[in-house]
Amino acid sequence: MIDLSIIRLKGVSKKYPPDNLALRGLDMDVRKGEFVFLTGASGSGKSTLLKLLYCAERPTSGQIIVDGLDLSTLSPSQIPFLRRKVSVIFQDFKLLSSKTVFENVSISLEVLGLKRTQIEKRVRQVLEGVGLSGKLGHTPLELSGGEQQRVAIARAVVNRPPIILADEPTGNLDSDRTDEVLLLMEELNARGATIIFATHDERLYKNTHRRVFRLSDGRIEVTGP
Amino acid sequence: MTLPSLLKRALADLWNDLGTHMLTTVVIFLSALIFSFFSLIYFNLQNFVEHFGTELGLVIYLNKATPQDRIPALYQKLAGLEGVQAVVYISPDAAFKRLASYLKDEKDVLKGVDPKFLPPSFELRINRAVFHLDRLKRLAEKINRWPEVTKVQYGQEWLNKLKRFSVLLRAVVLISGLLLVLSSAFVVSNTIKLTVYAREQEMEILRLVGATNGFIQGPFLIEAFFQGLLGSGLALAFLYAGYRYVETLMGASCLLKGVNISFLPWTFIGIILFGSIFLCVSGTALAMRRFLRL
Ligand SMILES: Nc1ncnc2c1ncn2[C@@H]1O[C@H](COP(=O)(O)OP(=O)(O)OP(=O)(O)O)[C@@H](O)[C@H]1O
Ligand SMILES: [Mg+2]
Repeated sequence: MIDLSIIRLKGVSKKYPPDNLALRGLDMDVRKGEFVFLTGASGSGKSTLLKLLYCAERPTSGQIIVDGLDLSTLSPSQIPFLRRKVSVIFQDFKLLSSKTVFENVSISLEVLGLKRTQIEKRVRQVLEGVGLSGKLGHTPLELSGGEQQRVAIARAVVNRPPIILADEPTGNLDSDRTDEVLLLMEELNARGATIIFATHDERLYKNTHRRVFRLSDGRIEVTGP
Repeated sequence: MTLPSLLKRALADLWNDLGTHMLTTVVIFLSALIFSFFSLIYFNLQNFVEHFGTELGLVIYLNKATPQDRIPALYQKLAGLEGVQAVVYISPDAAFKRLASYLKDEKDVLKGVDPKFLPPSFELRINRAVFHLDRLKRLAEKINRWPEVTKVQYGQEWLNKLKRFSVLLRAVVLISGLLLVLSSAFVVSNTIKLTVYAREQEMEILRLVGATNGFIQGPFLIEAFFQGLLGSGLALAFLYAGYRYVETLMGASCLLKGVNISFLPWTFIGIILFGSIFLCVSGTALAMRRFLRL
Protein backbone atom coordinates (compact mmCIF):
# COMPACT_ATOMS: atom_id res chain seq x y z
CA MET A 1 0.00 0.00 0.00
CA ILE A 2 1.30 3.46 -0.86
CA ASP A 3 1.63 5.74 2.13
CA LEU A 4 -0.47 8.78 1.33
CA SER A 5 -0.56 10.25 4.80
CA ILE A 6 0.94 13.71 5.21
CA ILE A 7 0.39 13.78 8.96
CA ARG A 8 0.89 10.72 11.12
CA LEU A 9 0.82 10.34 14.89
CA LYS A 10 1.81 7.14 16.65
CA GLY A 11 1.19 6.66 20.35
CA VAL A 12 1.45 10.37 21.04
CA SER A 13 1.06 11.50 24.62
CA LYS A 14 1.34 14.98 26.03
CA LYS A 15 1.70 15.68 29.68
CA TYR A 16 1.69 19.23 31.00
CA PRO A 17 3.56 19.58 34.26
CA PRO A 18 2.97 18.58 36.95
CA ASP A 19 0.71 15.77 35.82
CA ASN A 20 -2.01 16.92 33.46
CA LEU A 21 -2.17 14.22 30.85
CA ALA A 22 -3.82 16.14 27.97
CA LEU A 23 -3.30 13.47 25.29
CA ARG A 24 -2.92 9.74 25.95
CA GLY A 25 -1.36 7.60 23.28
CA LEU A 26 -3.02 9.03 20.18
CA ASP A 27 -2.82 7.43 16.74
CA MET A 28 -3.94 9.57 13.85
CA ASP A 29 -3.47 9.71 10.10
CA VAL A 30 -4.38 12.51 7.73
CA ARG A 31 -4.00 11.93 4.02
CA LYS A 32 -2.51 14.40 1.61
CA GLY A 33 -5.20 16.78 0.36
CA GLU A 34 -7.70 15.70 2.99
CA PHE A 35 -9.97 18.03 4.93
CA VAL A 36 -10.75 16.74 8.43
CA PHE A 37 -12.55 18.14 11.43
CA LEU A 38 -11.12 17.94 14.92
CA THR A 39 -13.65 18.26 17.70
CA GLY A 40 -14.15 17.65 21.38
CA ALA A 41 -15.26 19.47 24.49
CA SER A 42 -13.42 22.48 25.78
CA GLY A 43 -10.20 21.33 27.41
CA SER A 44 -10.19 18.03 25.53
CA GLY A 45 -6.84 18.82 23.92
CA LYS A 46 -7.62 20.16 20.43
CA SER A 47 -5.25 23.09 20.67
CA THR A 48 -2.64 20.88 22.28
CA LEU A 49 -2.79 18.45 19.38
CA LEU A 50 -2.40 21.25 16.84
CA LYS A 51 0.47 22.77 18.82
CA LEU A 52 2.29 19.47 18.57
CA LEU A 53 1.87 19.56 14.80
CA TYR A 54 3.52 22.98 14.38
CA CYS A 55 6.08 22.28 17.09
CA ALA A 56 4.91 24.87 19.60
CA GLU A 57 4.86 21.97 22.05
CA ARG A 58 6.82 18.75 22.05
CA PRO A 59 5.16 15.39 22.75
CA THR A 60 5.99 13.64 26.00
CA SER A 61 6.16 10.38 24.09
CA GLY A 62 5.25 9.00 20.69
CA GLN A 63 6.14 9.83 17.12
CA ILE A 64 4.83 12.64 14.90
CA ILE A 65 5.58 12.89 11.21
CA VAL A 66 4.52 15.97 9.26
CA ASP A 67 5.17 16.11 5.53
CA GLY A 68 8.12 13.78 5.90
CA LEU A 69 9.65 15.58 8.89
CA ASP A 70 10.02 13.58 12.08
CA LEU A 71 9.13 16.14 14.72
CA SER A 72 10.67 14.19 17.58
CA THR A 73 14.12 14.69 16.06
CA LEU A 74 13.51 18.13 14.60
CA SER A 75 16.15 20.60 15.81
CA PRO A 76 15.09 24.11 16.87
CA SER A 77 16.82 25.60 13.87
CA GLN A 78 14.59 23.53 11.57
CA ILE A 79 11.34 24.67 13.16
CA PRO A 80 11.03 27.75 10.92
CA PHE A 81 11.11 25.48 7.89
CA LEU A 82 8.34 23.29 9.32
CA ARG A 83 6.29 26.42 9.98
CA ARG A 84 6.58 27.44 6.34
CA LYS A 85 4.84 24.19 5.40
CA VAL A 86 2.31 24.30 8.22
CA SER A 87 0.27 27.50 8.52
CA VAL A 88 -1.93 28.13 11.52
CA ILE A 89 -5.13 30.13 11.80
CA PHE A 90 -5.91 31.16 15.38
CA GLN A 91 -9.15 31.77 17.14
CA ASP A 92 -7.79 35.06 18.48
CA PHE A 93 -6.38 36.01 15.03
CA LYS A 94 -2.95 37.05 16.37
CA LEU A 95 -2.76 40.11 14.15
CA LEU A 96 -0.42 43.03 14.78
CA SER A 97 -2.60 46.02 15.58
CA SER A 98 0.15 48.50 14.82
CA LYS A 99 0.52 47.26 11.25
CA THR A 100 -1.79 47.54 8.28
CA VAL A 101 -3.74 44.67 6.77
CA PHE A 102 -1.25 44.55 3.93
CA GLU A 103 1.74 44.39 6.28
CA ASN A 104 0.12 41.72 8.45
CA VAL A 105 -0.32 39.48 5.45
CA SER A 106 3.00 40.22 3.79
CA ILE A 107 4.91 39.01 6.87
CA SER A 108 4.49 35.42 5.69
CA LEU A 109 6.25 36.21 2.44
CA GLU A 110 8.91 38.50 3.89
CA VAL A 111 10.28 35.68 6.03
CA LEU A 112 10.77 33.72 2.81
CA GLY A 113 12.88 36.55 1.41
CA LEU A 114 10.68 37.22 -1.59
CA LYS A 115 11.12 40.34 -3.71
CA ARG A 116 9.04 43.39 -2.90
CA THR A 117 7.16 43.38 -6.21
CA GLN A 118 6.36 39.70 -5.89
CA ILE A 119 5.14 40.16 -2.32
CA GLU A 120 2.96 43.06 -3.36
CA LYS A 121 1.36 41.07 -6.17
CA ARG A 122 0.61 38.00 -4.13
CA VAL A 123 -0.70 39.84 -1.08
CA ARG A 124 -3.08 41.88 -3.21
CA GLN A 125 -4.24 38.74 -4.93
CA VAL A 126 -4.92 36.88 -1.69
CA LEU A 127 -6.63 39.83 -0.02
CA GLU A 128 -8.87 40.15 -3.07
CA GLY A 129 -9.66 36.45 -2.69
CA VAL A 130 -10.93 36.99 0.85
CA GLY A 131 -12.80 40.14 -0.16
CA LEU A 132 -10.56 42.68 1.54
CA SER A 133 -9.00 44.55 -1.38
CA GLY A 134 -10.55 47.77 -0.13
CA LYS A 135 -8.95 47.53 3.31
CA LEU A 136 -5.26 47.17 2.49
CA GLY A 137 -4.18 50.26 4.40
CA HIS A 138 -6.47 49.76 7.40
CA THR A 139 -5.23 48.47 10.74
CA PRO A 140 -6.93 45.41 12.27
CA LEU A 141 -8.65 47.54 14.90
CA GLU A 142 -10.56 49.30 12.13
CA LEU A 143 -12.00 45.99 10.95
CA SER A 144 -14.88 43.82 12.10
CA GLY A 145 -14.21 40.45 13.73
CA GLY A 146 -15.04 38.59 10.52
CA GLU A 147 -12.75 40.82 8.51
CA GLN A 148 -9.96 40.32 11.00
CA GLN A 149 -10.35 36.58 10.75
CA ARG A 150 -10.12 36.81 6.97
CA VAL A 151 -6.88 38.77 7.32
CA ALA A 152 -5.56 35.97 9.52
CA ILE A 153 -6.60 33.43 6.91
CA ALA A 154 -4.94 35.47 4.17
CA ARG A 155 -1.72 35.53 6.18
CA ALA A 156 -1.87 31.78 6.65
CA VAL A 157 -2.41 30.96 2.99
CA VAL A 158 -0.47 33.63 1.11
CA ASN A 159 2.67 31.48 1.10
CA ARG A 160 0.67 28.52 -0.29
CA PRO A 161 1.45 26.02 2.47
CA PRO A 162 0.66 22.36 1.92
CA ILE A 163 -0.90 22.09 5.39
CA ILE A 164 -3.29 24.47 7.12
CA LEU A 165 -4.26 24.07 10.78
CA ALA A 166 -7.31 26.07 11.84
CA ASP A 167 -7.82 26.31 15.59
CA GLU A 168 -11.47 27.30 16.03
CA PRO A 169 -11.27 29.91 13.29
CA THR A 170 -14.97 30.65 13.59
CA GLY A 171 -15.20 30.77 17.37
CA ASN A 172 -15.72 34.53 17.41
CA LEU A 173 -17.97 34.82 14.37
CA ASP A 174 -21.71 34.82 13.75
CA SER A 175 -23.16 32.06 11.61
CA ASP A 176 -23.00 33.95 8.27
CA ARG A 177 -19.33 34.80 8.82
CA THR A 178 -18.72 31.24 9.94
CA ASP A 179 -20.10 29.87 6.71
CA GLU A 180 -17.93 32.28 4.75
CA VAL A 181 -14.83 31.05 6.52
CA LEU A 182 -15.80 27.43 5.98
CA LEU A 183 -16.29 28.12 2.29
CA LEU A 184 -12.89 29.74 2.09
CA MET A 185 -11.30 26.68 3.68
CA GLU A 186 -13.14 24.42 1.24
CA GLU A 187 -11.70 26.46 -1.63
CA LEU A 188 -8.18 26.17 -0.27
CA ASN A 189 -8.67 22.44 0.13
CA ALA A 190 -9.90 22.20 -3.45
CA ARG A 191 -6.60 23.77 -4.51
CA GLY A 192 -4.70 21.00 -2.78
CA ALA A 193 -4.08 22.08 0.81
CA THR A 194 -4.47 19.54 3.59
CA ILE A 195 -6.64 21.02 6.31
CA ILE A 196 -7.31 20.21 9.94
CA PHE A 197 -10.24 22.27 11.14
CA ALA A 198 -10.65 22.29 14.92
CA THR A 199 -14.07 23.36 16.13
CA HIS A 200 -16.69 22.56 18.70
CA ASP A 201 -19.42 23.99 16.48
CA GLU A 202 -21.38 20.82 15.78
CA ARG A 203 -23.33 22.53 13.00
CA LEU A 204 -20.19 22.68 10.86
CA TYR A 205 -19.57 18.94 10.65
CA LYS A 206 -23.06 17.53 11.32
CA ASN A 207 -23.82 16.70 7.70
CA THR A 208 -20.31 16.47 6.39
CA HIS A 209 -18.94 13.71 4.22
CA ARG A 210 -15.53 14.34 5.76
CA ARG A 211 -13.81 12.48 8.56
CA VAL A 212 -14.31 13.86 12.04
CA PHE A 213 -11.78 13.21 14.81
CA ARG A 214 -13.26 13.52 18.25
CA LEU A 215 -11.11 14.01 21.35
CA SER A 216 -12.30 13.05 24.78
CA ASP A 217 -10.39 12.10 27.91
CA GLY A 218 -7.18 12.50 25.96
CA ARG A 219 -8.14 9.79 23.49
CA ILE A 220 -9.27 10.08 19.90
CA GLU A 221 -11.97 8.38 17.89
CA VAL A 222 -12.74 8.92 14.25
CA THR A 223 -16.06 8.90 12.39
CA GLY A 224 -16.75 9.20 8.68
CA PRO A 225 -15.46 7.49 5.57
CA MET B 1 17.89 37.37 3.85
CA THR B 2 20.41 40.02 2.91
CA LEU B 3 22.01 42.90 4.78
CA PRO B 4 20.23 45.59 2.74
CA SER B 5 16.86 43.99 3.45
CA LEU B 6 17.65 43.76 7.16
CA LEU B 7 18.77 47.40 7.11
CA LYS B 8 15.57 48.40 5.38
CA ARG B 9 13.47 46.62 8.00
CA ALA B 10 15.55 48.14 10.80
CA LEU B 11 14.99 51.63 9.42
CA ALA B 12 11.28 50.97 9.02
CA ASP B 13 11.10 49.78 12.64
CA LEU B 14 12.98 52.84 13.82
CA TRP B 15 10.62 55.07 11.91
CA ASN B 16 7.47 53.28 13.07
CA ASP B 17 8.33 53.46 16.73
CA LEU B 18 10.36 56.62 16.95
CA GLY B 19 9.32 57.30 20.53
CA THR B 20 10.62 54.11 22.11
CA HIS B 21 13.80 54.18 20.09
CA MET B 22 14.39 57.78 20.99
CA LEU B 23 14.05 56.92 24.65
CA THR B 24 16.86 54.38 24.39
CA THR B 25 19.01 56.81 22.45
CA VAL B 26 18.43 59.56 25.00
CA VAL B 27 19.34 57.23 27.86
CA ILE B 28 22.55 56.26 26.09
CA PHE B 29 23.22 59.88 25.22
CA LEU B 30 22.91 60.97 28.85
CA SER B 31 24.97 58.08 30.21
CA ALA B 32 27.72 58.63 27.66
CA LEU B 33 27.64 62.38 28.26
CA ILE B 34 28.00 62.05 32.02
CA PHE B 35 30.73 59.49 31.68
CA SER B 36 32.73 61.35 29.06
CA PHE B 37 32.33 64.68 30.87
CA PHE B 38 33.72 63.08 33.96
CA SER B 39 36.58 61.55 32.02
CA LEU B 40 37.38 64.87 30.38
CA ILE B 41 37.79 66.51 33.75
CA TYR B 42 39.88 63.63 34.97
CA PHE B 43 42.18 63.70 31.95
CA ASN B 44 42.73 67.42 32.25
CA LEU B 45 43.48 67.32 35.94
CA GLN B 46 45.84 64.44 35.29
CA ASN B 47 47.51 66.42 32.52
CA PHE B 48 47.76 69.42 34.74
CA VAL B 49 49.34 67.47 37.57
CA GLU B 50 51.74 65.72 35.25
CA HIS B 51 52.66 68.88 33.44
CA PHE B 52 53.27 70.68 36.66
CA GLY B 53 55.16 67.76 38.02
CA THR B 54 57.62 67.76 35.16
CA GLU B 55 58.28 71.44 35.59
CA LEU B 56 59.16 71.05 39.21
CA GLY B 57 62.70 70.98 40.25
CA LEU B 58 65.32 72.21 42.62
CA VAL B 59 66.97 75.56 42.99
CA ILE B 60 70.53 75.35 44.29
CA TYR B 61 72.10 78.50 45.72
CA LEU B 62 75.87 78.61 45.71
CA ASN B 63 78.22 80.33 48.06
CA LYS B 64 78.94 83.84 46.71
CA ALA B 65 82.61 83.12 47.05
CA THR B 66 82.49 80.20 44.66
CA PRO B 67 85.11 80.82 41.97
CA GLN B 68 83.82 81.18 38.43
CA ASP B 69 85.95 78.27 37.15
CA ARG B 70 84.18 75.81 39.50
CA ILE B 71 80.92 76.39 37.69
CA PRO B 72 81.46 74.02 34.70
CA ALA B 73 82.54 71.21 37.01
CA LEU B 74 79.47 71.69 39.21
CA TYR B 75 77.32 71.84 36.12
CA GLN B 76 78.66 68.47 34.97
CA LYS B 77 78.23 66.98 38.40
CA LEU B 78 74.60 68.08 38.61
CA ALA B 79 73.78 66.99 35.08
CA GLY B 80 75.19 63.56 35.85
CA LEU B 81 72.81 62.98 38.76
CA GLU B 82 70.08 60.41 38.30
CA GLY B 83 66.72 61.74 37.16
CA VAL B 84 67.99 65.19 36.28
CA GLN B 85 66.47 66.38 33.04
CA ALA B 86 67.99 69.81 32.62
CA VAL B 87 70.40 72.10 34.40
CA VAL B 88 70.40 75.86 33.98
CA TYR B 89 73.04 78.14 35.47
CA ILE B 90 71.88 81.52 36.69
CA SER B 91 74.76 83.88 37.21
CA PRO B 92 74.46 86.78 39.69
CA ASP B 93 74.10 89.14 36.72
CA ALA B 94 71.34 87.07 35.17
CA ALA B 95 69.58 86.84 38.51
CA PHE B 96 69.79 90.58 38.86
CA LYS B 97 68.32 91.13 35.40
CA ARG B 98 65.54 88.77 36.17
CA LEU B 99 64.75 90.59 39.37
CA ALA B 100 64.75 93.88 37.52
CA SER B 101 62.32 92.59 34.95
CA TYR B 102 60.00 91.32 37.69
CA LEU B 103 60.03 94.73 39.28
CA LYS B 104 59.25 96.44 35.97
CA ASP B 105 58.37 100.06 36.72
CA GLU B 106 59.77 99.89 40.19
CA LYS B 107 63.21 98.82 39.13
CA ASP B 108 64.50 102.17 40.34
CA VAL B 109 64.84 100.67 43.79
CA LEU B 110 67.75 98.66 42.46
CA LYS B 111 69.65 101.78 41.50
CA GLY B 112 73.06 101.82 43.04
CA VAL B 113 72.80 98.24 44.19
CA ASP B 114 75.69 95.99 43.28
CA PRO B 115 74.56 93.81 40.38
CA LYS B 116 76.45 90.93 41.99
CA PHE B 117 74.67 91.04 45.32
CA LEU B 118 72.61 87.94 44.44
CA PRO B 119 74.23 84.52 44.79
CA PRO B 120 74.84 82.39 41.70
CA SER B 121 72.44 79.45 41.42
CA PHE B 122 71.54 76.37 39.45
CA GLU B 123 68.00 75.38 38.46
CA LEU B 124 67.42 71.66 38.08
CA ARG B 125 64.51 70.15 36.24
CA ILE B 126 63.75 66.65 37.52
CA ASN B 127 62.07 63.96 35.47
CA ARG B 128 58.43 63.52 36.57
CA ALA B 129 59.39 64.93 39.91
CA VAL B 130 55.93 64.85 41.36
CA PHE B 131 55.79 61.10 41.19
CA HIS B 132 59.16 60.64 42.88
CA LEU B 133 59.10 63.00 45.78
CA ASP B 134 61.31 60.81 47.94
CA ARG B 135 63.96 60.81 45.29
CA LEU B 136 63.71 64.57 45.04
CA LYS B 137 64.13 64.89 48.76
CA ARG B 138 67.16 62.60 48.89
CA LEU B 139 68.70 64.46 46.00
CA ALA B 140 68.22 67.77 47.76
CA GLU B 141 69.84 66.48 50.93
CA LYS B 142 72.78 65.09 49.02
CA ILE B 143 73.42 68.31 47.12
CA ASN B 144 73.07 70.32 50.27
CA ARG B 145 76.17 68.58 51.66
CA TRP B 146 78.36 69.85 48.87
CA PRO B 147 80.76 72.55 50.18
CA GLU B 148 79.84 75.14 47.51
CA VAL B 149 76.11 74.91 48.24
CA THR B 150 74.48 77.19 50.74
CA LYS B 151 70.82 76.23 50.27
CA VAL B 152 68.64 73.87 48.28
CA GLN B 153 65.07 74.89 47.75
CA TYR B 154 62.02 73.04 46.69
CA GLY B 155 58.35 73.40 47.50
CA GLN B 156 58.17 70.25 49.53
CA GLU B 157 54.95 70.98 51.34
CA TRP B 158 53.22 72.03 48.22
CA LEU B 159 54.49 69.01 46.37
CA ASN B 160 53.29 66.63 49.03
CA LYS B 161 49.85 68.12 48.86
CA LEU B 162 49.78 67.83 45.10
CA LYS B 163 50.85 64.24 45.29
CA ARG B 164 48.24 63.31 47.83
CA PHE B 165 45.64 65.11 45.79
CA SER B 166 46.53 63.28 42.61
CA VAL B 167 46.42 59.90 44.34
CA LEU B 168 43.05 60.75 45.83
CA LEU B 169 41.80 62.04 42.49
CA ARG B 170 42.77 58.86 40.80
CA ALA B 171 40.97 56.71 43.39
CA VAL B 172 37.83 58.84 43.28
CA VAL B 173 37.75 58.81 39.52
CA LEU B 174 38.30 55.08 39.25
CA ILE B 175 35.64 54.18 41.81
CA SER B 176 33.00 56.60 40.59
CA GLY B 177 33.81 55.78 36.97
CA LEU B 178 33.18 52.13 37.71
CA LEU B 179 29.91 52.90 39.50
CA LEU B 180 28.87 55.13 36.65
CA VAL B 181 29.55 52.44 34.07
CA LEU B 182 27.62 49.88 36.10
CA SER B 183 24.62 52.10 36.68
CA SER B 184 24.39 53.23 33.07
CA ALA B 185 24.74 49.63 31.92
CA PHE B 186 21.84 48.78 34.21
CA VAL B 187 19.64 51.62 32.97
CA VAL B 188 20.48 51.01 29.32
CA SER B 189 19.86 47.27 29.51
CA ASN B 190 16.49 47.85 31.18
CA THR B 191 15.47 50.40 28.59
CA ILE B 192 16.46 47.95 25.89
CA LYS B 193 14.49 45.20 27.58
CA LEU B 194 11.44 47.45 27.45
CA THR B 195 11.82 48.07 23.73
CA VAL B 196 12.28 44.36 23.07
CA TYR B 197 9.38 43.30 25.28
CA ALA B 198 7.17 45.88 23.64
CA ARG B 199 7.49 43.86 20.45
CA GLU B 200 6.99 40.46 22.00
CA GLN B 201 3.80 39.86 20.02
CA GLU B 202 5.49 40.71 16.76
CA MET B 203 8.29 38.27 17.50
CA GLU B 204 5.80 35.54 18.38
CA ILE B 205 3.98 36.01 15.10
CA LEU B 206 7.20 36.07 13.13
CA ARG B 207 8.14 32.78 14.73
CA LEU B 208 4.77 31.30 13.89
CA VAL B 209 5.00 32.18 10.22
CA GLY B 210 8.41 30.57 9.93
CA ALA B 211 10.94 33.34 10.47
CA THR B 212 14.45 32.21 11.33
CA ASN B 213 16.15 33.61 14.42
CA GLY B 214 18.42 35.68 12.21
CA PHE B 215 15.46 37.23 10.48
CA ILE B 216 13.87 38.20 13.79
CA GLN B 217 17.06 39.30 15.49
CA GLY B 218 18.77 41.11 12.61
CA PRO B 219 16.81 44.37 12.61
CA PHE B 220 16.86 44.56 16.41
CA LEU B 221 20.64 44.26 16.48
CA ILE B 222 21.05 46.82 13.71
CA GLU B 223 18.75 49.19 15.55
CA ALA B 224 20.74 48.68 18.72
CA PHE B 225 23.95 49.39 16.83
CA PHE B 226 22.62 52.68 15.51
CA GLN B 227 21.21 53.68 18.87
CA GLY B 228 24.52 53.08 20.59
CA LEU B 229 26.41 54.93 17.88
CA LEU B 230 23.98 57.85 17.76
CA GLY B 231 23.62 58.21 21.53
CA SER B 232 27.33 58.15 22.30
CA GLY B 233 28.28 60.10 19.17
CA LEU B 234 25.89 62.89 20.07
CA ALA B 235 27.16 62.89 23.63
CA LEU B 236 30.76 63.27 22.44
CA ALA B 237 29.79 65.99 19.98
CA PHE B 238 27.95 67.81 22.73
CA LEU B 239 30.90 67.49 25.05
CA TYR B 240 33.26 68.74 22.35
CA ALA B 241 31.11 71.81 21.75
CA GLY B 242 31.12 72.51 25.48
CA TYR B 243 34.86 71.99 25.58
CA ARG B 244 35.44 74.47 22.77
CA TYR B 245 33.25 76.99 24.54
CA VAL B 246 35.20 76.66 27.78
CA GLU B 247 38.41 76.93 25.81
CA THR B 248 37.42 80.29 24.35
CA LEU B 249 36.26 81.47 27.75
CA MET B 250 39.64 80.54 29.20
CA GLY B 251 41.45 82.22 26.35
CA ALA B 252 39.64 85.45 27.14
CA SER B 253 40.46 85.35 30.83
CA CYS B 254 43.95 86.55 31.71
CA LEU B 255 44.03 84.49 34.85
CA LEU B 256 43.67 81.17 33.03
CA LYS B 257 45.43 82.12 29.84
CA GLY B 258 48.46 79.97 30.51
CA VAL B 259 46.50 76.87 31.46
CA ASN B 260 46.23 74.35 28.65
CA ILE B 261 43.23 72.06 28.41
CA SER B 262 42.85 69.21 25.98
CA PHE B 263 39.99 67.04 24.74
CA LEU B 264 39.69 63.30 25.36
CA PRO B 265 42.34 61.20 23.63
CA TRP B 266 41.24 59.40 20.47
CA THR B 267 41.56 55.96 22.00
CA PHE B 268 39.24 57.00 24.78
CA ILE B 269 36.70 58.36 22.30
CA GLY B 270 36.90 55.01 20.55
CA ILE B 271 36.34 53.19 23.83
CA ILE B 272 33.23 55.25 24.62
CA LEU B 273 31.75 54.69 21.14
CA PHE B 274 32.60 51.01 21.07
CA GLY B 275 31.46 50.50 24.66
CA SER B 276 28.06 52.08 24.02
CA ILE B 277 27.50 50.07 20.86
CA PHE B 278 28.59 46.89 22.58
CA LEU B 279 26.29 47.59 25.50
CA CYS B 280 23.29 48.14 23.22
CA VAL B 281 23.90 45.21 20.92
CA SER B 282 24.71 42.70 23.63
CA GLY B 283 21.85 43.98 25.79
CA THR B 284 19.45 43.49 22.91
CA ALA B 285 20.77 40.03 22.11
CA LEU B 286 20.42 39.08 25.75
CA ALA B 287 16.91 40.49 26.08
CA MET B 288 15.83 38.64 22.95
CA ARG B 289 17.16 35.29 24.01
CA ARG B 290 14.04 34.21 25.82
CA PHE B 291 11.92 34.93 22.76
CA LEU B 292 14.04 32.95 20.38
CA ARG B 293 14.45 29.63 22.16
CA LEU B 294 17.86 29.06 20.71
N1 LIG C 1 0.45 25.51 28.44
C1 LIG C 1 -0.27 24.66 29.22
N2 LIG C 1 0.19 24.32 30.43
C2 LIG C 1 -0.49 23.46 31.20
N3 LIG C 1 -1.64 22.89 30.86
C3 LIG C 1 -2.17 23.19 29.66
C4 LIG C 1 -1.50 24.09 28.78
N4 LIG C 1 -2.23 24.21 27.64
C5 LIG C 1 -3.31 23.42 27.82
N5 LIG C 1 -3.27 22.81 29.02
C6 LIG C 1 -4.25 21.83 29.54
O1 LIG C 1 -4.36 20.80 28.58
C7 LIG C 1 -5.71 20.44 28.43
C8 LIG C 1 -6.11 20.59 26.99
O2 LIG C 1 -6.11 21.97 26.66
P1 LIG C 1 -6.36 22.49 25.19
O3 LIG C 1 -6.13 23.96 25.15
O4 LIG C 1 -5.58 21.68 24.25
O5 LIG C 1 -7.91 22.19 25.01
P2 LIG C 1 -8.91 22.57 23.82
O6 LIG C 1 -9.55 21.34 23.38
O7 LIG C 1 -8.18 23.37 22.80
O8 LIG C 1 -9.95 23.51 24.58
P3 LIG C 1 -10.79 24.73 23.97
O9 LIG C 1 -11.88 24.15 23.15
O10 LIG C 1 -11.30 25.42 25.20
O11 LIG C 1 -9.85 25.58 23.21
C9 LIG C 1 -6.51 21.30 29.37
O12 LIG C 1 -6.76 20.57 30.55
C10 LIG C 1 -5.60 22.46 29.68
O13 LIG C 1 -5.82 22.91 30.98
MG1 LIG D 1 -8.26 25.38 22.06
